[in-house]
Amino acid sequence: MVIQENMTVQKKLEILSDAAKYDVACTSSGVDRKGSGSGIGNSVACGICHTFSADGRCISLLKILLTNECIFDCKYCMNRASNDVLRATFSPEEICNLTIEFYRRNYIEGLFLSAGVLKSPDYTMEQMLKTLRMLREEYHFNGYIHCKAVPGADPVIVEMTGWYADRMSVNLELPTADSLKMLAPNKTRKNILKPMKQIQIGRLENKGMPVFNRIPFSEEDGYDTGRYLTTAAKAQTTSDIVLPDISDIVTADPSGSSFGLIKPPSVNRGFVPAGQSTQMIIGATPESDYQIISVAEALYQKFDLKRVFYSAYISINDDSNLPALTQGPPLLREHRLYQADWLLRFYGFQASELLSENRPNFNTLMDPKCNWALGHLEQFPVEVNKADYYTLLRIPGVGVKSAQRIVRARKSANLTFEDLKKIGVVLKRALYFITCNGRMMYPVKIEENYITSMLLQVKEKLPLGIEAASAYKQLSLFDNADFTSANADFRSLSQDNFLSGLGG
Amino acid sequence: MSEKKVYQCEDSLEGILTAVYDAWSSRNGHGNNEIRILSGDYQGNMELFTEYIIVKNSEEKISKVIKAVYEKISSEAYELICSAACSCEQSRGDDIYRFLIVGFSVGREIVDQLHNKYVMRIFELTRNVSNEAHHLKGFLRFQEIEEGILVAKIAPKNDVIRILAPHFSDRLCQENFIIYDENRNTAIVHGESKAWFYTDSSMLDVDRIKNISEREESIDIMWKAFFQTISIKERENKNLQRNNLPIRFRSNMTEFE
Ligand code: SF4
Repeated sequence: MVIQENMTVQKKLEILSDAAKYDVACTSSGVDRKGSGSGIGNSVACGICHTFSADGRCISLLKILLTNECIFDCKYCMNRASNDVLRATFSPEEICNLTIEFYRRNYIEGLFLSAGVLKSPDYTMEQMLKTLRMLREEYHFNGYIHCKAVPGADPVIVEMTGWYADRMSVNLELPTADSLKMLAPNKTRKNILKPMKQIQIGRLENKGMPVFNRIPFSEEDGYDTGRYLTTAAKAQTTSDIVLPDISDIVTADPSGSSFGLIKPPSVNRGFVPAGQSTQMIIGATPESDYQIISVAEALYQKFDLKRVFYSAYISINDDSNLPALTQGPPLLREHRLYQADWLLRFYGFQASELLSENRPNFNTLMDPKCNWALGHLEQFPVEVNKADYYTLLRIPGVGVKSAQRIVRARKSANLTFEDLKKIGVVLKRALYFITCNGRMMYPVKIEENYITSMLLQVKEKLPLGIEAASAYKQLSLFDNADFTSANADFRSLSQDNFLSGLGG
Repeated sequence: MSEKKVYQCEDSLEGILTAVYDAWSSRNGHGNNEIRILSGDYQGNMELFTEYIIVKNSEEKISKVIKAVYEKISSEAYELICSAACSCEQSRGDDIYRFLIVGFSVGREIVDQLHNKYVMRIFELTRNVSNEAHHLKGFLRFQEIEEGILVAKIAPKNDVIRILAPHFSDRLCQENFIIYDENRNTAIVHGESKAWFYTDSSMLDVDRIKNISEREESIDIMWKAFFQTISIKERENKNLQRNNLPIRFRSNMTEFE
C-alpha cells in the first residue's frame, strides 16, 4: 500500500474527491432548516446546485471520502484493497475546516462523507461519527450533511451518526444478491439491508410512529404497537410475487434491526430528517431493466427510501468477472431507468405496468411513458377537461407541472388545444392520446404502429450528450418496420450504434 | 376619438404602481394606454399622435393601488407583481398593468386563469426572476477580503439581490458580507448578527473589495482542485455542463477563472 507522509490537505483533497466521484448522489434536498441564529448554515428542501462539473453533473456538496484505504475488495472499485493506488486519510478537523471554508464562500450546500473501510467497519464508522459530531457541535455547522453507513458497522455508531446527518445512505451496489456475491465478496445483502432498515425504523420512531411488529424503544412511550401501519406492512405488490431474486428486499424484517440504543444529542435536528438513499451500478451484471426497477420499487415501498440512484457502470479495473465495456458507460440505459424511476415516484406507475418478464427491457428509442402508452392504447383518448390528475399524468406530453396546471385552469374554463399549448403540454406527443371537449386535434387513427412511427419523428429531448443522433439517422432505415413487436430485438440490434454516440 | 397615451415611469415597483394608478384614472380606455419604464437610454419608439406622460411617484397613489390589489384580488397577486417588477423584461410595467386589469375584473380567481395570456405573461416573468434567483443561490461566490469580510459580485439579468438577501442573511448570520450587483450598481450589506440593508454602491469602496485575504488564495486553489477531480472523465459532457450552468454566470465564479 502506498502511503505518503505529511501529505498536504490539498493533495488529500485531490485523492479523496477523486475516489468519491463515482458516488452519484450529490443532492442536498429533503430538509428545510432555518439558520440557528448562531453558528453557520441552513438547509433548503428543494436543494441547490452550486456548480456543474465538466461531466455536466450537479455539485452541491463537498463530496469526499474520509479515507480511500480499504480492507475490502469490491471488484469494480478503484479503492479496493488489491489496487495499488495512493492512499490518504483526512483527520476530522481537516474535513471540518474544509467544509466550513467552502461553505462560507458559497461553494457548497454541505458535506457528503463516504469512506473506504479502514481497519474495520466499526473503526471507519466511528471516525465518520467523530467528524460529523465535531462539525455540528464544535463548528456549529447547520448546513446539509449526507453520510454513508458502512455495512457491518455497529448499530450504535450508525444510530448516533443518524442524529448528526441529514441524509444517510447505504449503497445496495448491485441489484441482486448473486451479483453482489460475485463482485463485492466482502459485503452481504444482509449487512446492507440491516442498517437501511435501522435507519427507516429510526426515522419513523423519531416521528412518533413505532414500527409495526417492533417493541417500543422505551417503556414510558408505551405505544400501542401495530396501531400504526407503516409502508413496511403495506399490501403486497407485484415485486413480492414476481421476482424471487429480490425477495430479501421484499421480505426485510424490522425485528433484526434496532433503534433507540442511545440518547439523541442535545441539539436535536431529528433522525436522518432528509431520509435515506441508495445506489446501484447498472450494466456491470446481467440484470434486466425489469429486475432493476422492481428492486427500486421494493426499496421505495419497504424501506421508505427517498431516492434510488443508478450509476452507469464505468470500467476501472480489469477483472474476469467484469464486463469489458468498449462503448463507454451505458448512459442511455441509465437515463431510461431514471425516467422510469420518476414514473414510479411521481406518476403513480408500478414497475409491472412498465415492463414484464416477457418484455424485460426499456425501448432505447422511446421514453418509458410513451412506451407504456403505446402498449395501452385501449385507455386512450383521454378527455383533458374531465380526466382526473393521475389519468392526465399518463398522457405522453403531459408532465407533473402541466397536469397540475390543467387541473387548476379548467376550474374556470373549458380548455382548448390552444390553451393546452400555453399551459405547456407537448401537443406533438399528446395529440394522439387526448380529446378536448370530445374532439381530437386532428382525425388520427389510434393504431399502434402508426402512432409509434409518428412519435419517433418527434425528437425526444434527451440530456445533451446522450443525443442519440445516430439513433435518428438509423430510423430512416426502419421507416416501415414494425417497431413495437421488434422492441426487444431492436434493442440488441441497435444498442451498439447508440452507445457509440454516448460518452466514451 | 381618444388618443394613445404612454405613461413613462421610474424603474421600480413604486414607479409602476403609480403609473397604473394614473393610467387607470385617465378614463382613456385601457387599450389606448401603455406603461413604459424609463431606464438608462431606452426610450422606446416615439410615435406620432401619442401623448407622453412622465409619471411622478406618489406615496398616496401607490398605497391606493396596493390596497386595491389586496382587497379586490389577493395577497398572492400582490406578491406576483412584486416579483414581476424585478424582471428584466422591458415590458414588465405594461405587463403588470394588463394583469391587474384582468385581476380587478375576476378577483382572486386570476391565479388559476393560466390560459389568459396576460396571466401567463406574469407567471413567465416571475418564473424567470425566481429561476435566476434560485440559480444565484448556488452560483454566487464569496471571496474573503481583509478583516474577514465576504464579498460577492454578481451580474444578474433580473433585479434579484433583494430576493437573495434573506437567504444569505439566514445562512451566514455570523458573517459580515456584501453582495454587489455590478449591472445595477446596487448592493446588499449584512453585518454580523444584524439585519441586512439595500444600498446603491456609492457607499461602497469598490477598490477595497479587491484586497482579498491571504488565506483566500489557498482556499480558492483547493476549490478549483476539487472541481477538477470530481468530474468523471468517461462521462465528460461540456454541452450538458453549459446547459446546466450558462456561461453568463461563470465570469464571477471562482472555479471558472
Ligand atoms: S468497500 Fe468496496 S466499494 Fe467501498 S471503498 Fe472498499 S472496495 Fe471500494
